[in-house]
Amino acid sequence: MSILEYNGGCVVAMAGKNCVAIASDKRLGVQLSTIAMDCNRVFPMTDSLYLGLTGLHTDVTTLHNLFNFKLNLYAMREGRTIKPTTFASLVSSTLYEKRFGPYFAEPVIAGLQADGTPFLCAMDLLGAMAVADDFVVSGTCAESLFGTCETFFRKDMNPDELFETLGQSLMAALDRDCISGWGVDVHIITKEGVTTKSLKARMD
Amino acid sequence: MERPMSASGAPEWMTAEHSMGTSIMAVAFDGGVVLGADSRTTTGTYIANRVSDKITPMTDSIFCCRSGSAADTQAISDYVRYYLDMHVVEMGTPPLVKTAARLFRELCYSNKTQLMAGMICAGWDSAKGGQVFCVPIGGSLVEQPFAIGGSGSTYIYGYCDAHYKEGMTKEECQAFVKNAVALAMSRDGSSGGVIRMVTVDKDGTDRTCFGGEQVPSF
Repeated sequence: MSILEYNGGCVVAMAGKNCVAIASDKRLGVQLSTIAMDCNRVFPMTDSLYLGLTGLHTDVTTLHNLFNFKLNLYAMREGRTIKPTTFASLVSSTLYEKRFGPYFAEPVIAGLQADGTPFLCAMDLLGAMAVADDFVVSGTCAESLFGTCETFFRKDMNPDELFETLGQSLMAALDRDCISGWGVDVHIITKEGVTTKSLKARMD
Repeated sequence: MERPMSASGAPEWMTAEHSMGTSIMAVAFDGGVVLGADSRTTTGTYIANRVSDKITPMTDSIFCCRSGSAADTQAISDYVRYYLDMHVVEMGTPPLVKTAARLFRELCYSNKTQLMAGMICAGWDSAKGGQVFCVPIGGSLVEQPFAIGGSGSTYIYGYCDAHYKEGMTKEECQAFVKNAVALAMSRDGSSGGVIRMVTVDKDGTDRTCFGGEQVPSF
């Protein structure tokens, strides 16, 4: 089994009209054995910027701590919150610094820019960025997620439609992956704020 | 994006063997047996079939639970069903559960280097009533009051040892199997889907399936 499949898990983010949503499963495992069903792999970096990380969970935790540290210093030096595009570049260079001994984590960034338009991007473990205007996926069931998201996605969804579409896309993909699942958390980010909802999913 | 590749460069899920990670079990009661299994078949970590049927009929009142390589166990159970059909023609009476179990053992032991199959053979016959035989990988044969198998069984040894009692009724056995398989499914990544259950007694066979909300949660 590949090192990126050791702990399992997946993250997906989708864009709507002036809103984004990011969702993940909650399983933490050691290969095929499940050891936790409440693990968090999506983290708020600013009020309107979320970072989701899949892959080896120790690197997920380390990178989360590292980016919190970097953002705190950024806020102190710049006196403002970081823009999503800038943060994405920060994540990309942090990962590429370790080009020949990488962190085994693949991030997904979802945020709202200053004018309210959504920003989505995903990266591989070396920091290669892929910006999308519809959806981005990462994790052990990424192939399945591409399929379900491509099928269910429509442009300009409102927050409620976005929540429904993203939740259903993720749950359908989870049904076909052994090492993801055990619950779903969805965060919907709008100019007014962030709403977090949990979905009941298959517990196998 | 890094993905596990096979030697030819294709993604693992396109070339890996179909495996039934599985949680299977069978329990004998006075007058019959209850067999239970999950329904997940995997190719690597991709779930190739999430509603598979791992409880296979050998005769009207003898069944087997299959775990390990899907191809190997399908081939073995096809052979055993064929041999039992011939046996019935020759003997004129329904076969004994022990006979079916011995046939499984013969195939699994003689071909042990090439097979990956863990089977549980259980059923009812008029000679000894309900019986459960376990034929694990390697090809040994053990008769037990109840047997558990598959990768998910490792998580429920304690539960089964604690909750099994001699002299359980049919309904108690069904509840025992349902809870045990549900527990194994919740911890083992290679087990999941629906719980299939087959109850065999002298009056015939009853097949049930528990899915979604009906699967016990803990």
